[in-house]
Amino acid sequence: MARALHIRFWLPLLLVAGTLLLAPLFRSSQPPLQSHMLALLLCATVALSGYLFAVICQPEKF
Amino acid sequence: MTTTTLRAFFPRMPRGPRQQRRYTERPRQKGLVQRAIVESFRKLDPRLAVANPVMFVVWCGTALCLLLTLEPRLLDAQAGGRERGFNALISLTLLATLLFANFAEALAEGRGKAQADALRRTQARTEARRQLADGSIERVDSSALRKGDLVLVQAGDVIPADGEVIAGVASVDESAITGESAPVLKEAGSDVAGSVTGGTRILSDQLTLRISADPGKGFIDRMIALVEGAERSKTPNEIALTVLLAVLTQVFLIAVATLPPVAGFIGQAPSVVTLVALLVALIPTTIGGLLSAIGIAGMDRVAQFNVIATSGRAVEACGDVNTLVLDKTGTITLGNRLAEEFLTVDGHSSAELAEAALGASCFDQTPEGRSIVRLAEKLGAVLPFDQTQASGLEFSARTRMSGSDTPEGLEYRKGAVDAIKGFVRSRGGTVPERLDACFEQVSRLGGTPLAVCRGGEVFGVIYLKDIIKPGIRERFDQLRRMGIRTVMLTGDNPITASVIAREAGVDDFIAEATPEDKIAVIQQEQKLGKLVAMTGDGSNDAPALAQANVGVAMNSGTQAAKEAANMVDLDSDPTKLIDIVTIGKQLLITRGALTTFSIANDIAKYFAILPALFAGAGLEALNVMKLASPQSAILSAMVFNALIIPALVPLALKGVKFRPLSAEQLLRRNLLLYGAGGVVAPFIGIKLIDLAIGALRLV
Repeated sequence: MARALHIRFWLPLLLVAGTLLLAPLFRSSQPPLQSHMLALLLCATVALSGYLFAVICQPEKF
Repeated sequence: MTTTTLRAFFPRMPRGPRQQRRYTERPRQKGLVQRAIVESFRKLDPRLAVANPVMFVVWCGTALCLLLTLEPRLLDAQAGGRERGFNALISLTLLATLLFANFAEALAEGRGKAQADALRRTQARTEARRQLADGSIERVDSSALRKGDLVLVQAGDVIPADGEVIAGVASVDESAITGESAPVLKEAGSDVAGSVTGGTRILSDQLTLRISADPGKGFIDRMIALVEGAERSKTPNEIALTVLLAVLTQVFLIAVATLPPVAGFIGQAPSVVTLVALLVALIPTTIGGLLSAIGIAGMDRVAQFNVIATSGRAVEACGDVNTLVLDKTGTITLGNRLAEEFLTVDGHSSAELAEAALGASCFDQTPEGRSIVRLAEKLGAVLPFDQTQASGLEFSARTRMSGSDTPEGLEYRKGAVDAIKGFVRSRGGTVPERLDACFEQVSRLGGTPLAVCRGGEVFGVIYLKDIIKPGIRERFDQLRRMGIRTVMLTGDNPITASVIAREAGVDDFIAEATPEDKIAVIQQEQKLGKLVAMTGDGSNDAPALAQANVGVAMNSGTQAAKEAANMVDLDSDPTKLIDIVTIGKQLLITRGALTTFSIANDIAKYFAILPALFAGAGLEALNVMKLASPQSAILSAMVFNALIIPALVPLALKGVKFRPLSAEQLLRRNLLLYGAGGVVAPFIGIKLIDLAIGALRLV
C-alpha cells in the first residue's frame, strides 16, 4: 500500500497516461514519435509545475 | 550568585584585545577545492538536486537539452545536424550552471567539514579510571563511560568525556577547544569553573568528575554535528526566500510553456532548447544556486569566530536582534577593576586605612585584591600580623565581603558598604557618617566602593576603578545607528551604574541586578515584539539564555548554561555578542544583496533572448546590445548566467562587507549597488561574451 502511494510509482504512470491522452493533439503537425514526445514533454512540464507548487506549499520539506 | 560577581572572583580567560588572543587554528583548507569539485558532480544526483527547486528546474532543462543533443529530431522532425551543435553548447552551459551551483554549496559545506575534522582530532579515545560504588577504580575505554559515572582524572590525563567536577581542584588545558594556551582552573562547587569538556587535558592535580553526557552526545560531538551541517535545517528566512524563488520559477515556467502557441500564431515557433534557455535565463538561478552556500557560510563565519551556533536559525536571528542585554563586567568594562585611591573616614590616616586594607586583602588572590595590596604597599603599609598564623575569608555572594582573621581575634574585612555596615554593627561598632559620603563620591566617579573595617571600627573606603573597554562607546554608537538598543546589567549600585552607563554610551541600565532581572528585561522587550540577545555563563543564567532569542553561553560556563543557549563562545569573551550580531546582519544583507542582484540580472537577459526568439517578428529593435545573431545571443546569455555563479561564490562565502547603517540606508545602498549593478553588469558581460563567441566562431 505504501508503495502504491509512493510518487515513484504514480509519477511514471501518470506521465505515460498523460502522454497517451495528449499525443493525438500534436498528431496533426508531427509524426507519431514526435507527437508522443511533445505530449510527454507537456506532461513533464505539468509535473514540474506540480513539484513547484509542492515546494511553495511545504518549503520546509525541501 | 550573579555573573558579574563570579567573574570578579574567578578570573579566567585572558581578556586582552582580540588581536592579542589566539583563536582555534583554522582548519586546513588543503584539498578543499578538489573535494568540492568531486562533490559538485555527486550532487548532480536528482535525489539531491530535488532539494533546490530553482536548480532542479535547470537540472530538468539540462537533461532535456542533452537528449535533444543526442537526437535533435526527438521533438521536431524537421531538425537537423545544425541544431545538434547549438543544443550541445546550450547543454554544456546548463551543465556548467548546475556544477557551479553545486560547487558553491560543496565549498561552503567543505569548510564546515574541515572544521569538524579538526574537532574530531580532539576526540581521541582514551582510557578512563571509573570509580565504582565500593570506591574501587576500574580502567575502561572512554567510550564505555555513561552519564552519571564517576571518573578520576589526574595530571597528564585527557579528560575522557564531558563532566561536572565533584571533587578536587586542578588546572586544565582547554586549548584543544578554545585555542587559548593559558590553563584554566577547575574546581568543585564552583558555578563557572565546575564543568569540564571531553578532549581537554588536565595539567596539574586531580579531579573527580561526574560524567554528564553519554558517548556521542558530548559537547564536541554536538559541535561536530553542527559544523558538518548534519542538523542543519532551513531557517525561517531561507524558507521565505525558497517560496519566493519557487513562485518566480513557477510563474516563468507557465509563461514559457504557454509561449509556443503564441509564437506559432505569429509564425515564429521557437525550438524547445531555446525555450529552455529562456526559462533558465528568467528564473533566479544566481540566488537559487548560491542560497544554501550563503547560509552554510554564515554558520561557518560564526564558527571561525570560535562560536558554535546550534542552528542556522540562531545565526539568522542575530541579524534581526533589536536589543542586546549585556553584563557590565567583562563586556563593557575590563574584567579587572583596580584600586585607585583610599578615602579615609573619622580621622583615620591614609596609612591606617592602607594597613587595614592590606590586612583584609592579603589572602585575596583576585586581580582586585592584588591591586589593593599593591596600592597599600606603595603607600608604605606593612602587614600588621603574621600571615602564616592568620586565616583568610573568601568572598561570597551571601556575605559580600572577604578578609582575614588573626590569632589575636582581629577581624579585617573589606566588602560592599552595606555588608560592612552590618558587620560593624554586629561587632558593636558605629558606622561613621562620612562613610556614606565616601560611598557616593566613589559611585559618582563610576567606581566600586569597598568599605574597610577591623572588627567594629571602619577605616574608610577603597575606590576600585572600573575601566571601560577602549572603543566600546563607538561600538554602541554603531549598534544604535543599526537600530539596536543596549541594556547594561550590573550588580553595582545605581549611582555607579548610571556613571558607567553614561560613559560607555549604553541606552539603558539595571543596577543591583539579579538573574531574575535578566529574564524580566528579556520578557519585557519580547512583549514589545523585539528580538533579544544576551550572554551568560552561570547556571543561574540558564533560564534567561533559554528565554532570549539569541543566547550566547561562555565555554567556561556551566553545562546548564551551554545547553540552554543557542550559541557557545569557545573563547568565553562576552564582548563577542556584538560581533555575532554583526555576522547575523551580514548574513541577511548578503542574502538580500544577492537576491536583488539575481533578479535585476533578468532584465539584460530579456534584451538578449527575446529579440533572438522573435527576430522575424519585428522585435529587432530590442536588440540594444547589437548581439551578432539570435543563437549567439542565447548562448551569451546562458554563458553569462553560468559564469556569474562562480564569480559570486567569494562574495557568498565571505559575505557582503558590513556597514553599521540603518535598515533604510542599507536598503538604499544595496538597491543602488546590487540592483543597479545587477542591471548594468549583465549588459556588459553578455556583450563581451557575444564578441568572444563571434571571435571563436562557436555558432
